[in-house]
Amino acid sequence: MAYLLLINETRGERAARPEDEAHRLYDDMMAFAASLQADGILRAAESLRTDEHAVRISARSGKPQLVDGPFAEAREMVGGFFLIDVATREEALAIARRCPAVAWATVEVRECAPCHVL
Amino acid sequence: MPPDDTARSLVALWHLEAARVIGRVARIVRDVGLAEDIAQDVLVTALERWPVDGLPANPAAWLMTAASHRALDHLRHTAMAAGKEGAIGHALDFAHQAAADDAAERIDAALDDPVGDDVLRLIFTACHPVLPPEARCALTLKVMGGLSTTEIARAYLKPEATIAQRIVRAKRSLAAARVPCEVPRGAELVARLDSVLEVIYLIFNEGYAATAGEDWMRPALAEEAQRLGRVLAGLLPAQGEVLGLLALMEIQASRFAARLAPDGSPVLLMEQDRSRWDRLLIRRGLDALNRAEALPGPLGPYTVQAAIAACHARAARAADTDWTHIAALYDVLARIAPSPVVRLNQAVAVGMAFGPEAGLEIVEHLHSEGSLDGYPLLPAVRGDLLSRLGHHAEARAEFLRAAGLTRNARERALLQARAEACGPLPREAR
Repeated sequence: MAYLLLINETRGERAARPEDEAHRLYDDMMAFAASLQADGILRAAESLRTDEHAVRISARSGKPQLVDGPFAEAREMVGGFFLIDVATREEALAIARRCPAVAWATVEVRECAPCHVL
Repeated sequence: MPPDDTARSLVALWHLEAARVIGRVARIVRDVGLAEDIAQDVLVTALERWPVDGLPANPAAWLMTAASHRALDHLRHTAMAAGKEGAIGHALDFAHQAAADDAAERIDAALDDPVGDDVLRLIFTACHPVLPPEARCALTLKVMGGLSTTEIARAYLKPEATIAQRIVRAKRSLAAARVPCEVPRGAELVARLDSVLEVIYLIFNEGYAATAGEDWMRPALAEEAQRLGRVLAGLLPAQGEVLGLLALMEIQASRFAARLAPDGSPVLLMEQDRSRWDRLLIRRGLDALNRAEALPGPLGPYTVQAAIAACHARAARAADTDWTHIAALYDVLARIAPSPVVRLNQAVAVGMAFGPEAGLEIVEHLHSEGSLDGYPLLPAVRGDLLSRLGHHAEARAEFLRAAGLTRNARERALLQARAEACGPLPREAR
């Protein structure tokens, strides 16, 4: 079963972080990704740029609307993700617990399934 | 955390950590069967203590430390039982000696072992050719996947006692044959690797052949095999066939969702809804295949099969399939891993690439050899090629023959429908 671990960070925290610490956190996350890879359970992992550089697109009103970031109304932003393959929800949770990001962010565990499955 | 949740977390953790823990213990006690027993004891202890004491801060490290201690305890007890003067001081010396030996061994291993990894030793031992294939599969799932006997029994639709017996016997055979817990080198590595790959592919197919809606454990077997394939590819990145098998499994698994109709009947490759193929798995499969093909040396059978699967994966529509390339790959496969079934597949590909007459030529050859007598796909393929040549009456007879040979009800219905579609003898145009 595939699960997505979403790293939800508090907006603005990155900018406040000293550079060497930022590098250390990133290296920890890369090492974590490498360990998942070695265990054969990692499908994909990425770290994302802040949402200042993001664009939101929606055509719900009929024609496409583009909104540039940052999206000030949101307190948190998705800072990165890990897509993993594990047998059970418990395994996904065990891995999320091990993720270094739990120390400075919230790791949200989402099961992959078609959107018509409730 | 409520006790039930703790137990579930532990089972989940065990699935992820078993190979490392058992591998470590096996290195200390030099016996995979014994290592697995010791690891089970540790698991039982954790099941008793964690719900009471709470989860340790680092559960994986707890398991590893507890298992290593227990392994050293075991060595100490064996030494005492062997009557080596029995004195406690001596026994402790022995334990220290064992720890020192182990450290020395680890350093030696790091220096001259070609791969030097606990997990790798473990899989090579569990897949040792002294064991029959089904015992290798069960033991591999147990020590590499941390699956319980109950889970393995469910996966194979066998009574639990049968699987338990299988595992006990496998452990005994390994001990009786004094199979060393080590990674083979050089030419032996390649030979023994065949057995490891065979086990992983058997596990994969056991899961792949199962239909959805059956017990969830069966598709999970395919996932476990993929996971083992990825672990092995990480440990042996220069072995082309490891990458080839991984690529083959990833690409085949990408079609899981598409290969069954809502009513549970199988959907043939050419008729599958390709939008339901898992793009990520395809990308991973193609990536592994590229790495396998980039390695020096001739391609092995798994890599060639993966290359064939990749031709299908790359075609956005069934009509885009590069049959000429597939026919060429089957030609290679028929030479490096000859079998009548491979040649029958080759006939299909040749028939698609160069026309039904060319395909029929291979089929006639197979037919006259008689090696596929009673195999329903031979007349089915023959019928298909004949109908494309406009020989409807002959095609009809072949489809009916195939329908009479198959034991699968859905397949029989499909073949009978094809026979009927050939219609009565075509009326001559006046």
